[in-house]
Formats: sequence, structure tokens, C-alpha cells
Amino acid sequence: MSDDFYIGWEARPGAGPARRLRTLVVLLLVVGLGLAVALATQQHTIGTSVFEWGNLKPFSGRLELQPYPHLLVPRPGATNSQPGFSTYYLVAPFKHGLDREKFGALEGQMVTLQGTLIYRGDQTMVEAVPDSIHAVASPASLPTGAATVRLGRQTLVGEIVDSKCYFGVMNPGQLLPHRACAINCISGGIPPVLLVRPKNGPAIYLLLVSALGKPVNQQVLDFVAEPVEITGEVEWQDGLLILRADPQTYRRVGR
Amino acid sequence: MSLQYQAVQWNRQKRLYDAVLVGGVALYLLGFGAVTEFLFPNITEEILLMRAFGSAAFILLHIILCIGPLGRLNAGFLPLLYNRRHAGVTLFLLALIHAVMVVTTYHAGGDTNPIASIWVSSPLTHSVAGVPFQAFGFLALVILFLMAATSHDFWLANLSAPVWKSLHMLVYAAYALLVLHVTFGVLQAETSLVYAVTMAAGLVTVLGLHGLAASKEARLDRKINAPDTDGWVEAGAVADIPDNRARIVCVAGERVAIFKYAGKISAVSNVCQHQNGPLGEGKIVAGCITCPWHGYQYLPETGASPPPFVERVPTFQVRLKNGRVWVNPQPNPAGTRAEPAVIEL
Repeated sequence: MSDDFYIGWEARPGAGPARRLRTLVVLLLVVGLGLAVALATQQHTIGTSVFEWGNLKPFSGRLELQPYPHLLVPRPGATNSQPGFSTYYLVAPFKHGLDREKFGALEGQMVTLQGTLIYRGDQTMVEAVPDSIHAVASPASLPTGAATVRLGRQTLVGEIVDSKCYFGVMNPGQLLPHRACAINCISGGIPPVLLVRPKNGPAIYLLLVSALGKPVNQQVLDFVAEPVEITGEVEWQDGLLILRADPQTYRRVGR
Repeated sequence: MSLQYQAVQWNRQKRLYDAVLVGGVALYLLGFGAVTEFLFPNITEEILLMRAFGSAAFILLHIILCIGPLGRLNAGFLPLLYNRRHAGVTLFLLALIHAVMVVTTYHAGGDTNPIASIWVSSPLTHSVAGVPFQAFGFLALVILFLMAATSHDFWLANLSAPVWKSLHMLVYAAYALLVLHVTFGVLQAETSLVYAVTMAAGLVTVLGLHGLAASKEARLDRKINAPDTDGWVEAGAVADIPDNRARIVCVAGERVAIFKYAGKISAVSNVCQHQNGPLGEGKIVAGCITCPWHGYQYLPETGASPPPFVERVPTFQVRLKNGRVWVNPQPNPAGTRAEPAVIEL
């Protein structure tokens, strides 16, 4: 054995190298653990959202397909100050929106379906099992959407997110690391939403549609996951905030 | 050293090395995971795994890159180099798990092929968002795979040391790609100063250590003495060479290791045949020049490994004059005996 010279294939290192090695290993482990704690605590993009994965539940309500599929679910015990229904976005499994053509015949009808809840803040979505959607006999009082309320022309700055991931399927489900996923999801039919964070108050979510109220999934892809400024008509429909604007007028802004 | 290929030539120190390596990685992953789960219970598990394994791989890459220059600057770090290959394979496995989580989470389940999605699902734009950071990560993973797949001595012997070494120098390209991957990826989202400072500190440490090591070697190489009339070059005083150690001199553009041992002086190429380790930073152990990197051994008079081993390095003729060593800059073919110069007391 060589006392001061380390040879890896020797049975044991010399006393000097062994002592230095022990110190070095302890130092590396402490630095590694310190980095683990520091990097973990400094994550700032993880919000409070839930995807009840593996927990299928039955839902029933009125199926609406415009501008994006959603379900108006009767709200028992609603008072006059509250709408008589809750609005749940409807999407398909994985990175797909609900096929509007397939379910076109059911539009406006009462349906039942099996699905998994996704929710964040006051936004709720159901990942529906497509084959489970069936029309049922309409009750005497079918929930009807409230009259559209026009809130005027507004300019808003925010980030376009894919609603399914951001509302809970992925957390965090926003910003550049998630961009490719958001683009895949929106391209696949998941409703694009403008996420606006006011300095005070909770986040605001606006469904993006064209000036004519049509889906804009394919037109917004280049603007996903970075700050954009959108000027358009804001309206309140079926409990959803909707922003009507031509995607060609979207403007990229600095962070 | 071995006469036949084995998957791993296990010995006690390799087992200890790997135990510490795996234990350290596990400690990091558990620490990161536990703290994240405690503080952010709503995080998606896939993203937690993605972040834990990705950051572990990037940190391990920094450690691996620092081992080389640290070993050149201070021999105390050389034990970390002995089994660095296993650290490299571990790095690849961590990066692979990170990549699998990214592909299955972000790219699978849509209308696009998951691998194609890495290239087409993040369109180029005239903004930071258009920088294809995931493509950088993919290319780096390909390099890490090539390095891990050829890490065994079988490939070192069959590709030849220079080709193998060149291939494995691609680790610097992988590092550059990963710096871009992290900078234009997670750092655009996680904007805490801790992330930016940690990233900058890592980059400065890697570049700084390589700069220091290169500077140390450049100083050595600049010390070129004029040749005598017969072409031999003066290489310093015998008294300046410690017993059983060497002095490295640059002769005719090649580093030569001049060893003093058993009252004699011999000179061989400074480049170990195994992985181009610096023989002159080694030591005479049991009568053999022993490489400080992996312990490969050569007889100082012949430059040949003791039988039955077959590695050989070039030798140089030496002579002594007035207590100073002179070297013939013309190398002998590898394994050729060169008569040692006897030190007269």
C-alpha cells in the first residue's frame, strides 16, 4: 500500500488519501443535500389545483358545445342571487378536447356522463369518458344559460394556457417549460384560456374565441406560454368569461 | 489493468465509490422530493420526478466536470476520478429518467408522435419562447448516451485512446447544450434568484477550474530549454526531482515524465496508454510507474507494463551532466528499453 498516493485497485487507500476522501465525501453530501433543499424551497410556480385522477364520478347537465364544450349542471338550492347552474368545462382524456361533431346531436340536451374532476380556484372542468355521454330525458326545468352580459372592449395582458393542464392536470402547467405540452393540448382541442393575474385579487380566466365567437385553437399556438396583450370584447356567458378578438391582433409583450 | 474484459472489474474501492455515489444521488432525490411534497402538496408527481431527476443529473454533471481539473490542481481529488465512469453512467440514467418523464408528460397523449413533438411542438418565434430548449436537452441526452454506451474499456481499446478521448470530450458540448436547456427552460419559469445564482455559480466553477488547470499546464509547457549542439535538451536538476516521483518537462512539443527511483533516472511519455492520464503526476510503486488516474503501471526502463499486461508507452534516452538531467527529444518506440542514467553520489 502506498501511504500518500491513491491507487484505486489497492485493497485500501493509504491513511492520507482515506482521510481526505472521507472529508470530501461528507462535504459533497452536505452540499448536495443543501442544494436539494434550496432548489426545492425556491419553486414559485406550483399552485393549488386538483386533478382527481382515478376517481370517476357521474355528472348530468345540459350539454353546450359553443364556443367550447361545457356542461350546465343544475345547482340545487340556488337562490335568486346565484345562477341556477354550475358551469363545467368538458374535455376528453389526454391532450384532446371533446369532439364537437360527434356530440353535435346532443347539443342543448340533458346528458349524463362519467368523468374526472379538475379544478383550480373557481374554475371547474370534467375530463369526460367520451363513450359515457348519453342523452337522458329532460327534467321539467332544463337549466338554461343566463343572458350574455357584454362587459365592453378591454385590453388585457396575460399568458395563454391550456385550460386542462393549468386547471389541475399538471401543476405547474404554465410558462415556458410547459409550452410544448400546452401547444399539444390546445392543438388537440383543449380550450385556450387567457390567464390574467391582477396585482390585487384572484386570477381571471378568459376563454379565447375569435371576433365572431369561434374557437381559435390553431391560431393561438405561436402565442402560448408567454406574455401577450389582447384587445377585444369581453362578455359573460353561461358563467364563463369570454374574450372575443382576432388572434392576428394579439401582441407579444416582454416579461 | 486486466487481460480480459469483464462488465465491471469490481474491487472494494469501486464498491465503496458506487455506494457513496448511489447513496448521494438517493439523498438528493429524497431531499428534493420530501421538501417539495411538504411545501407544495399539489405538485403533479410526474413533474416532481422530472425536476428531481433533471436537477440531480445537472448537478452530477457539474461534479463530474470538476473532478478532472481538481485532480490536476490537487492530487487529493484523484480518488474521485478513479471510478468517474460509473458517475457518468449514473448521470446518463438520471437524465434518461428525466427525459422519459418529459416525453410521456408533455409530449405523449396528443396528435403528434411524442419524439417528433420535441422538435415541432414548440414553434420558433421571435422571442425567448421560441428557443428550442427541449431540443437542446434531447441532443445532450444523445451525447450522454454515446458516452455511457462506450464507457467500457472494451470500447477504449477498440476505438483507440485518442478516438475514445475525443468522443468523450463531447461531454463539454453536452454541458453547453444543457446550460442552454436549463437557461431557456426552467429558469424562464422559476425566477428565484437562488436558481439563477446556483446556475451561474456552477458555470463559473466549471469554467474557472478548467481555466486554472489549463493555466498551470500552460506554464509547464512554456518552460522550453534550448537544445544542446547534439539536440539533447536540459530538463532541470536531479536534486529537484523527489524520490519515486517525476518532473514533467515539455520537450519538442511533447510532455515527458522524468522519474527518479532507486538511484536512477528514466524518462517516458507523460501520456498513459489507458486514458491519457498524466504519468508524471504518478509515483513509482513496487518498481513501476503508476498512473495517478487508474493505477495503470509501466516499468520505467522500458515503458512496458509488467507481464502479463501489454500496455506500453514511448521511452526517452536520458543522461546526467553536472547534476542536471538531459533528455533526447526523439522518443523511442513504445516499450523500447532506454538505459536509465545512474545517479552518482
